[in-house]
Amino acid sequence: MALDDIPRLGCGRSIDSIWATTDRPPTAHEERCEQCQTARTQLERLSEATRALRESDLHNPALEPRHGIKNAIMDVARAEVRRGSRILLRSADNGSTEISEQALSSLVRFAAAAVPGVHSRRCRIEIRPASAGPAGEDPPPGTTGTATTAGPRLIVNLRVAAAPGIDIPLMAEALRHEISNAIPAGVGIGAGTVNITVEDLYDV
Amino acid sequence: MNDHGPGFEPDLDEGSIVARAQDGDLAAFEHLVLAYQYRLFRLAYRMLNDRGEAEDIVQETLTTSWCALPMLADVDAFGGWIYRLATNKCLDVLRRRSAHAESIVDSDDMDAIPGARARPVSAGWDPAHEAEWSAEQDGLTALLNTLPPAQRACWLLREMHGRSYAEIGVTLRISPTAVRGTLARARHQIAEGMSQWR
Repeated sequence: MALDDIPRLGCGRSIDSIWATTDRPPTAHEERCEQCQTARTQLERLSEATRALRESDLHNPALEPRHGIKNAIMDVARAEVRRGSRILLRSADNGSTEISEQALSSLVRFAAAAVPGVHSRRCRIEIRPASAGPAGEDPPPGTTGTATTAGPRLIVNLRVAAAPGIDIPLMAEALRHEISNAIPAGVGIGAGTVNITVEDLYDV
Repeated sequence: MNDHGPGFEPDLDEGSIVARAQDGDLAAFEHLVLAYQYRLFRLAYRMLNDRGEAEDIVQETLTTSWCALPMLADVDAFGGWIYRLATNKCLDVLRRRSAHAESIVDSDDMDAIPGARARPVSAGWDPAHEAEWSAEQDGLTALLNTLPPAQRACWLLREMHGRSYAEIGVTLRISPTAVRGTLARARHQIAEGMSQWR
C-alpha cells in the first residue's frame, strides 16, 4: 500500500490533496477543471455527513454499552487485584503484622495529595529490616512496639507528575514532609527514605 | 474524599490515573473504564454492526487491559494502546465471520440497533429536513459497511475518533503514509457511493 495507491482524478490531482483544501477557496486550476469541481462537491458533502455522524453517534444513547458492562469488568479486576508484595511491619512471639505494598502506596498517595501542583503516580516500597542497621542498635529489651527509630525502616520510591512552572525542590521537600509524617502515624514505623522522581509535567 | 475513595483527586491527568491503575488501584482503573467504554463501544458497533458482539469487545478489551497494564511502558500511550486492542479484536471477529462465509451487511440476521440509525440531536427540527438528514446518515453508514474491514477501521479511527496517522499505522501494522493512502481510498469510495444517491 504505497502513496501511489491514492486515487487520482483524470487531471492528475489526488483525492487526498482536494480533501485537504476543501475548506479553502478553489484554486485557479479547480475553477477551470470540471473533475476537480465534481470531486470537491462530493468531498464537501462527505465531510459534512462525516461531521454529522460523529456528532449524532456521540450523543446517541442507543450507541452506549449496557450498564452491566462496567460492573462485569470491575468484577474481573477485583478478582485479580494486584496488591504487590507484602511488607513485614512487625514480628513478635505473639504474631506478625504485614501490610500490602498497595495499601501502603494508598497511604503515601493520600498524604501526597495534600501538596498542591503534584500528581502521584507509581509507588514502590521496600523495607530495610531492623537487623540490617548498624550493630548495637537492637530494639531495647522488653519492647514489642515498633515505633522506634532502630526498628525496620521503609524506602518509598514515588514517581510523580508536576504542574509546569512549579518549584520542584520545594515541592519534593513538601512531599517528603507529608509522607514522613503519614507513614509512622498510619503504620507505626518510620519512612526512612522517600525518593521522589518527577517523571512528567502534566497539562494544567 | 469522594466516590473514588481516599487519595483520588478528580482533576488528575490521564497519565497519573494510568500509573495508579498500573499499581493495582481499582478506583483509578474504574475511572479509565468509564472514560473509554463508550468510545470503544461506538468503534466496535460501527465495525461489527452487532450490539452483543460490540459489548463483548468492550468487555474483553478492558479486562485484558487490567492484566496487561503493568507492562505498558508509557502511561501517555494508554489511549492508543486500548484503541489498538479493541480494533484488532474487531478485525479478528470480522475474519472469523468471513471464514464462516456469513454476510456482514445482512442486517436481518444481525442484532442491530434500530436507534443507531442516526437521528438528529437537537429538538425542533423540520420533519422533512429530519428525514432527509437521517437518510443521509443511514446512507453513510451503509456505505461504510461496504468498505474492507481494515479500510473501515482506518476511516473510523481517523474520522470518528480523531486518532493520529502514526497510531493508526501501528494498529493496522502499516506505515503512516499507507494510512494516508488507505484513508484517501476509503473517502473516495464513500464519496463515489454518495454521489449515486439521487
